[in-house]
Amino acid sequence: MPAGPTSKLFRRLRVVLFVLGILPVGAGLGSTGSTTQGLTAQINVASGLTVAASAAMTPGASKFAPFQATLPVSYWARTTPTGAGGTVTVRVTSDFAPAGGPSAASGVLTYTCGGQTYGTACSGTQTASTAAQTPLLTLPPSACTGGGGSCSAASPNTVNLNLTLTDNPAYPTGSYSAVITFTISAT
Amino acid sequence: MTTRYTTATLGALLMAGMLNAQGATGTTTVSVAIAAEASLNITTGSTALTTSGTTFSNPFTGSTSLTYKIRTTKVGGSGTITLKVTSDFSPANGPSVATPPTGGDALTYTCTLAAPGTACTGSLTSSTTASTSVGTFGTDAKSTSGGNTGTINWSLTNDPLYSTGSYSATVTFTIAAL
Repeated sequence: MPAGPTSKLFRRLRVVLFVLGILPVGAGLGSTGSTTQGLTAQINVASGLTVAASAAMTPGASKFAPFQATLPVSYWARTTPTGAGGTVTVRVTSDFAPAGGPSAASGVLTYTCGGQTYGTACSGTQTASTAAQTPLLTLPPSACTGGGGSCSAASPNTVNLNLTLTDNPAYPTGSYSAVITFTISAT
Repeated sequence: MTTRYTTATLGALLMAGMLNAQGATGTTTVSVAIAAEASLNITTGSTALTTSGTTFSNPFTGSTSLTYKIRTTKVGGSGTITLKVTSDFSPANGPSVATPPTGGDALTYTCTLAAPGTACTGSLTSSTTASTSVGTFGTDAKSTSGGNTGTINWSLTNDPLYSTGSYSATVTFTIAAL
């Protein structure tokens, strides 16, 4: 039976309402249906970190005692159950400048690690290097950040890099700056 | 058509998740201000002044050794090492820096000082009221990290008016860097 003008107008109106998201599919058709949508999420390893853009080292308590600074590093990580875990490393990517003062390349910039909220901090005193990445923190396999349980309680997690710079009388007076790059990796 | 569009959107979101980096970096600029600085260590715990002979012709002599560290300002800097008798000889009736029993009695000294220091010149008379020079430093003076050495060679008049006995005084050394 051919549709009359009223029926055509109704169908056009239904289409318009559907496009506008006002009318559910099939409304007014006198029938219902359902379907399923399978969703799969591939959760991969991920990591990130943040650190203050700058930090000033302060003189020691006595004359020619080493300069010191504490750099908190915030980090997130998710590692796989079967991988090696993750690492946070440190490297002096731009040595102290101007020249003539302290130089990390000569081994005078050392550090210890501590205060970590997740993972295992480096042990002992490490020498910061301009040539190689040196350890700050290691993360276990199946690491995840936040929420507690098998994941860390904190999000982000933090670890402190405690820097020490020799105060050698041979350094000329002046201001010197170096750039330290932190790298986090997760597998 | 609507279903396909939704599926495509989910796919894009999942792809975005899969593209998360497995590593990240951050940088910090570490700065240090290195200022003029100095320290001094007297390596002779206690200096004994002794004399040879018994004819009053030889003064009491002895040496005090020191190690200094210094860094003076790169431009326009300077430094000094001075000494002062902050506690005169005691007990009384012996030698005295402030009030010697005989005019001309004195506790004098000469200096040696390793570079970059310049030792005092000649024989200087120590004082209880004023600091006297041991050495000076010029601009951009820098000692070694282990410190450099200096020596003060003392001479105390051997005055017959001193009563026999042991007498002690305290000398304070001061190093300054600008």
